Amino acid sequence: MRPPRALFVPFELGRPFGPPNKPEIQRQVLIEALTLLERRDGPIIEDFVTHSIYHKGIEEENEGWTCPINLAKPTNDLTDTQKLSFDLKQEVILLQPWYKRSIESSKGRRLDGLTTYSPEEIIDLLVSFIENPDIISFIPNQPIGRALKIISDDLKNFYFQSAMAKPKNISDVKLGNWFYGDTLAGKLLIEIRAICLAHSNESLQLIGRTNFVPNAMLKYV
Amino acid sequence: MVYFSEMPEKQRSMIVDQDLPDYKNTPCVEGPSLSKRKISIITTAGLHKKDDEIFTPGVGEYRIIPDDMNIKDLIMSHVSTNFDRTGFFQDLNVMLPVDRLNELQVAGKIGEVAKYHYSFMGATPPMAQEAVSKDLAEVLKADGVNGVVLAGV
Repeated sequence: MRPPRALFVPFELGRPFGPPNKPEIQRQVLIEALTLLERRDGPIIEDFVTHSIYHKGIEEENEGWTCPINLAKPTNDLTDTQKLSFDLKQEVILLQPWYKRSIESSKGRRLDGLTTYSPEEIIDLLVSFIENPDIISFIPNQPIGRALKIISDDLKNFYFQSAMAKPKNISDVKLGNWFYGDTLAGKLLIEIRAICLAHSNESLQLIGRTNFVPNAMLKYV
Repeated sequence: MVYFSEMPEKQRSMIVDQDLPDYKNTPCVEGPSLSKRKISIITTAGLHKKDDEIFTPGVGEYRIIPDDMNIKDLIMSHVSTNFDRTGFFQDLNVMLPVDRLNELQVAGKIGEVAKYHYSFMGATPPMAQEAVSKDLAEVLKADGVNGVVLAGV
């Protein structure tokens, strides 16, 4: 096997080709990576040269984003599961107009869709896991841990899509702070994580450690 | 990306201590000039069409992404929560720059865009991916692809 050719880029994980909606930067990254194909002196790793176009793009990214949706401060008491379910569904109702607006402005693009469950159905499933951590999986051919992860991602994507209805550049940190710090759904995922970590099922423990709350958001745990 | 010097020691050791091939000064594969190459993109972002099976953790597998599909119909079932997804939410080209690749073809910088691109899910043990990677390499060669951008997230 022959060695690879690599281009090291300064962008955060998840954006190997640079910021969104900055085609000139993305093209520059792509052409610099592809140009390495014409070199044979392997193995190769080069640094992406930060052009002035990159710095201008980063300056524009630093414009502030504020959530367009005014949600009530979420409670930390999740023990009353009936109230929890009701309050979560109220949160979804508040988000629905923004979700629809986001889909219209992105010409029909949806971020959720890993399952066919609606946000309300996902809430019922996650709350049922809180009530009984030994429930069986609700997605065919998927163990319970993976099923929880899939529906949690779909619920989070619904929230994220709603939050992005306001057309502004937004960072994952800001969106994460909003979701895990200011929404009941974020609190719900933190609770799901805690239950998985404490479960006797080792695969649920592993999924709890890594799949529900990013490391940068553990400050809300 | 992050420099090793910026990583916590445990994370740094986990990456550096991996059992990786030692290429020494082996030259890279030779090929035609870039303007004559057929290029495909392979991402590790766990992307797929909505009606594809979602990725299964620990399993070596990939999904096929036609170059002419509406990439707005792609969704992500990657297991990791620890990389930014807001870029992907706003512009898929941050992970899968098919629009940019086609622009480079129009500009004559590359010879041709491959009919298909591919997605793995990166959070999978490398050895679990070996068999399907070899399989995909043969598929790419049969398609006449002679240049690949492997885009990790």
